[in-house]
Amino acid sequence: MVLIVGGAYQGKLDYAKNQFPDVEWIDGRDCEEEEIFSCGGIHHFHIYVKRYMKRNIEQQIIIRNPQIVIVSSEIGYGIVPVDRFEREYRELTGRICTRLAGEARQVHRVVCGIGTVIKG
Amino acid sequence: MVHTVTGGSGSGKSAYAEEWLTQHGKDGHLLYIATMKPFTEEAAEKIARHQRMRAGKRFAAIECYSGLKRLDVPENAGILLECVSNLTANELYGEEGRMKDWREALEDITGGIWHLAQQTECLVIVTNEVNSDINGYSEETECYRKLLGMVNQRLAKMSDRVTEVVYGIPVSVKKDEEIVE
Repeated sequence: MVLIVGGAYQGKLDYAKNQFPDVEWIDGRDCEEEEIFSCGGIHHFHIYVKRYMKRNIEQQIIIRNPQIVIVSSEIGYGIVPVDRFEREYRELTGRICTRLAGEARQVHRVVCGIGTVIKG
Repeated sequence: MVHTVTGGSGSGKSAYAEEWLTQHGKDGHLLYIATMKPFTEEAAEKIARHQRMRAGKRFAAIECYSGLKRLDVPENAGILLECVSNLTANELYGEEGRMKDWREALEDITGGIWHLAQQTECLVIVTNEVNSDINGYSEETECYRKLLGMVNQRLAKMSDRVTEVVYGIPVSVKKDEEIVE
């Protein structure tokens, strides 16, 4: 498993495609729930989390698709949202990504299109 | 040794900070200074989660929501202060619901943390990065963002180490320099 993170609009997907040219991608904004277990890579993973809000989804991903490449936006770097759902979504994304990062053989962080390997 | 740990929400800052202090603090009692007020259901849940994480580790907890300058702590092998984002809100908005001048709050917060640093050989400070999003906030929230940004800069200056935790991965920002201030 590889996790690629960074703020919005930092060129994460282009970077990911460059690093992993053979991966076929699905989009977390419109994919089916089960596709995450058969795809090569997913981008907009944080939106996938928001659409399904499944706790422990990371455990299933780790077991069922251990070779996946995941691209996700960092969304926890702001003021705590007033809306309860937004707070829960933001926190859940953090917890899920922390556990995925723990399992991943590599974690990349992309800033201004430039990736830094922070694990692996 | 002063070590500031920063990062986004839900990124594993607390777990890292606890682990680091458990490994780097000397033998003996560690103090956990909690700044979050347990007044809402969500806050109480968060506090309970942190208590479960600390269970079995050698921490004694002290609650201090503001006024760290006046806090004298017992002898210890290390202190974990968690977290500066709550402390900042508590200091800025005050106990009576009145907003302090941000400069006064800045002195109270950083002076209070410095006072703590004098009472231990190993202080780990957990703070939060809240300034990487849109700033369409109210004037009051904007004031809070600015204040926390300034507090974090001062903490980084007084720290020997600064680490940003990215989804559980420690990314070193500053390491083993002379203490300034």
